Amino acid sequence: MRALRNHGLALFFAVIFLASLIGQAFTGQDDFNHLQIAHHQDPVSLGRYLTSSDFWVDVLENWQSEYLQFTLFILTTVWLVQQGSPESKELDKAGTESDQEQKLGDHTTEDSPKWARVGGLRTRIYSNSLVIVMAAIWIASWLGQSVTGRITYNAQQLDHHEAAVSWASYLTTSDFWNRTLQNWQSEFLAVGSMAVLAIYLRQRGSPESKPVGAPHAATGVEG
Amino acid sequence: MPHALPGIRLTLAVLAVVATTAGCGRSGDETTARMVSERFFAAVESGDGERACAQLSPDTRAELEKQEQRPCRDAVSEVELAGGSVVRAQVYVLNAMVELSSGEAAFLDHGQQGWRLSAIGCTPVAGKPADRPYDCELQS
Repeated sequence: MRALRNHGLALFFAVIFLASLIGQAFTGQDDFNHLQIAHHQDPVSLGRYLTSSDFWVDVLENWQSEYLQFTLFILTTVWLVQQGSPESKELDKAGTESDQEQKLGDHTTEDSPKWARVGGLRTRIYSNSLVIVMAAIWIASWLGQSVTGRITYNAQQLDHHEAAVSWASYLTTSDFWNRTLQNWQSEFLAVGSMAVLAIYLRQRGSPESKPVGAPHAATGVEG
Repeated sequence: MPHALPGIRLTLAVLAVVATTAGCGRSGDETTARMVSERFFAAVESGDGERACAQLSPDTRAELEKQEQRPCRDAVSEVELAGGSVVRAQVYVLNAMVELSSGEAAFLDHGQQGWRLSAIGCTPVAGKPADRPYDCELQS
């Protein structure tokens, strides 16, 4: 019971992620088959749809933009500040900060993670591990989007009696960039909105908000 | 950092599965698309209209009969085709294209009867082939 309580946030989002992915599978199959019938072609089974590029490009184009959002947010908040926002560090703390502030070197404790304590290359890697992993997942899923997107695009090309394109050519198509940019714009808007709205608005009890009574000018404080 | 490795491995595994199963590189489909096309052109050449029409999709057969106002088995030999052997077959999901030694192309799609020809006697028009539909002698 305690485990459920202590890991409630991760569990909640894992459950609704799976629920919405399952929902996407069914609605995506229905949408795909609607187009199949409109083109005088036969509908496909759920199993066939789940192994198709149509399903995976829709999944991966969303994953890549989410991980890009996190990559940029994590990186930019090291150096860029936003007065009044709880998403920002304090105005005079821009940069990678001191070892003392980051609990490194002589300032590690017994509880510090192993790679924080060992020093050297491993500590350098660990010090950037969040961005490294987020960026790696972003690049991998963007690559996956380009591979599956090209397959889906080429299926449409052949259906319209046009020639298929290579992967390199696909990267220059409006189809690839439309899928990419429509996702990027919403992610960047969401992060920017959160950073700014949280200056003036409050949500009691959430660490994403300042304390209800905190002044608008207070920066880097959590509720 | 070691704690992140399982997550990274899982992501790479998912992407590897996606890349290999997501509708591309299904060599069985390419082989079938080739065979259907070769069967069609061989049947046309030998005058076997019935066998040739069996390789066309129902919509393509219907279009031919509508254009020629006679049964497909009689009309199919009248379609102007350069023919030739299949030099390349490409399959993307449920659509395929074969390129012939004559320079012509044909398009197939996968329906209830399996792979069937949806357009034959196709030649690229001016400009990039990816930007304009091929000009086909017969298409559904």
